Amino acid sequence: MIELVGRSAREALEGLGSAGRITIDAVRALRDVRTWGPLATDQMRKLGVGSIPIGVLIASFMGIVLALLASYSFTNSVPRYLVGTLVQKTVMMELAPVLTGLALAGRVGASIAAEIGTMRVTEQVDALETLAYDPIAYLVVPRMLAGLIMFPVVVGVAMMVGLIAGWWASMGLLDMSSAQFIKGARLFFDSFDINYGLVKAASFGVAVTAVGCACGLETRGGSEGVGAAATKAVVTSAVLILVLDAFWAVVWLLGRAT
Amino acid sequence: MKKRSNDFLLGAVILGAIVLIVAVSMFLRESDLGAKKRSLSARFRDVGQVQVGNSVVIRGVKAGKVEAIELDATGWVHVRFALDDAVTMPRDPVVLLGASSLFGEWQATITDRQSVPNNREVATMLANAAGAKDGALAGAVLPDVAQLTTVAGGIAGDVASVAQRFQVAFNDSAARELRSSIRSVSQLSSDLARTVRVQSKNLDTIGVDVRAGAADLSRAADKFLRSVARLDTATSSGEVQRIVRESERAAVQLREASERLNAITQSLQKTEGHLRGVMGRADSVLMKVDKGEGTLGLLVNDPRLYRNADSLLVELRALLADVKKQPKRYFGIRIF
Repeated sequence: MIELVGRSAREALEGLGSAGRITIDAVRALRDVRTWGPLATDQMRKLGVGSIPIGVLIASFMGIVLALLASYSFTNSVPRYLVGTLVQKTVMMELAPVLTGLALAGRVGASIAAEIGTMRVTEQVDALETLAYDPIAYLVVPRMLAGLIMFPVVVGVAMMVGLIAGWWASMGLLDMSSAQFIKGARLFFDSFDINYGLVKAASFGVAVTAVGCACGLETRGGSEGVGAAATKAVVTSAVLILVLDAFWAVVWLLGRAT
Repeated sequence: MKKRSNDFLLGAVILGAIVLIVAVSMFLRESDLGAKKRSLSARFRDVGQVQVGNSVVIRGVKAGKVEAIELDATGWVHVRFALDDAVTMPRDPVVLLGASSLFGEWQATITDRQSVPNNREVATMLANAAGAKDGALAGAVLPDVAQLTTVAGGIAGDVASVAQRFQVAFNDSAARELRSSIRSVSQLSSDLARTVRVQSKNLDTIGVDVRAGAADLSRAADKFLRSVARLDTATSSGEVQRIVRESERAAVQLREASERLNAITQSLQKTEGHLRGVMGRADSVLMKVDKGEGTLGLLVNDPRLYRNADSLLVELRALLADVKKQPKRYFGIRIF
């Protein structure tokens, strides 16, 4: 039991270390534009555009549930228009980035780990090196750039969809007028809310793709190893998203609050 | 071909997301692109919790928003408002900052000076902020709900303190004493009632006596009337005329005696006046003597004079004795 805990901790730290090392290597490999340039848009479409439906679905339900939850929580002494305030703040600053990030960690992280892990176990990565291609520039940089750029796009769309869903739920399911919801949403709105959510989303994108790439490149064995790498990538990415969420809250929100 | 469609789709999604985010952000910020705005500023000593973006209200209708808040070197806070161009300002405008709800929203209200709430602090703030050289309106902060609740909290604390003191003061012993006092008051009131009952009986007796006295008086009056009637009868025999004449003579003599007594009194008054003058002068002389002024004063108050006079007498007595003893020493009589 103790050995299991120790091994798990070591593997988690190794995963983080690998992700950090790969991130540094990716930054160095940015100079090799001719290698990663043609592949970047393809990865962006796959990771980003392909993830928008799942992001929209999550955001829709998130907005509706938040509006109902706020309405349920607020008693008679609290004005109804604060439902709009709660939906706006919560969706933009927390739920859209984190829930979408977790969903993409499963979809994108597992996909990247499985894809690169398969390439590793079938020695395609070795073949790239043989052909004088830098595997980092060819495999990692396009994916990390896609994560960096497209995660905020997906999360931004999720924010707006979540807000609209909350608006619709307030009017359709609750006894609220459109003006009341808009008044609440505007009440404490600040551009910082959007910036905070998008920056968090970008950091989640880098973390998920870096972990996925690291797990894929370190895959050993056959198909079993690929599955293990995908699982490890998803778990590590999810944990990393929550850690980064807390990190940004402490660094950015705490500074603004004081 | 697939590569181009990928790029197009990707670009469309990215641009669409950016447009969507910017549009929603502008909608929530109530940005009004291209609309004409009028700028207006006011100065305050304190702006409370007003922030950029808070609403500006005229007669309850939103007319703009807070555009900027700046501190200047003279200790004033200048707040700039962006107002809708079509808004008509009140005649003598001032700006009041205050909470618009219990949930931390603040707003700026532009109102007529006559419509300012009757509050001494607000009036002082407006008077101090008036007359800005740059034409900024005078502004004041209305008391915050938090301040009011703080004051109310203080009052509640005082009430609780008083209640606690009352509770401390009104302990079991106090309750016993109060109960005892109530019993004493009850006993006192019963004693008083008994006394009143007894005294009412006495009053009845007195009333009966008074009625009897009144009857006696009535009888005495009847007797007096009868005596007067007899006196009328007596005057008809001339005794009364004689008594009257003698009385007149006695009155004349009495008047003469009175005049003499009056003259004597006047003489005595003059004598008293002289005596008072003499006494005054004597008093003045005695005062001077007492103070040691004048010869007599010196004689009375200076012991040296007595001693000198005494020694002079002694020497004079010795001289007389010597003259008696040896007269030739002093008197030489020569005929030739």
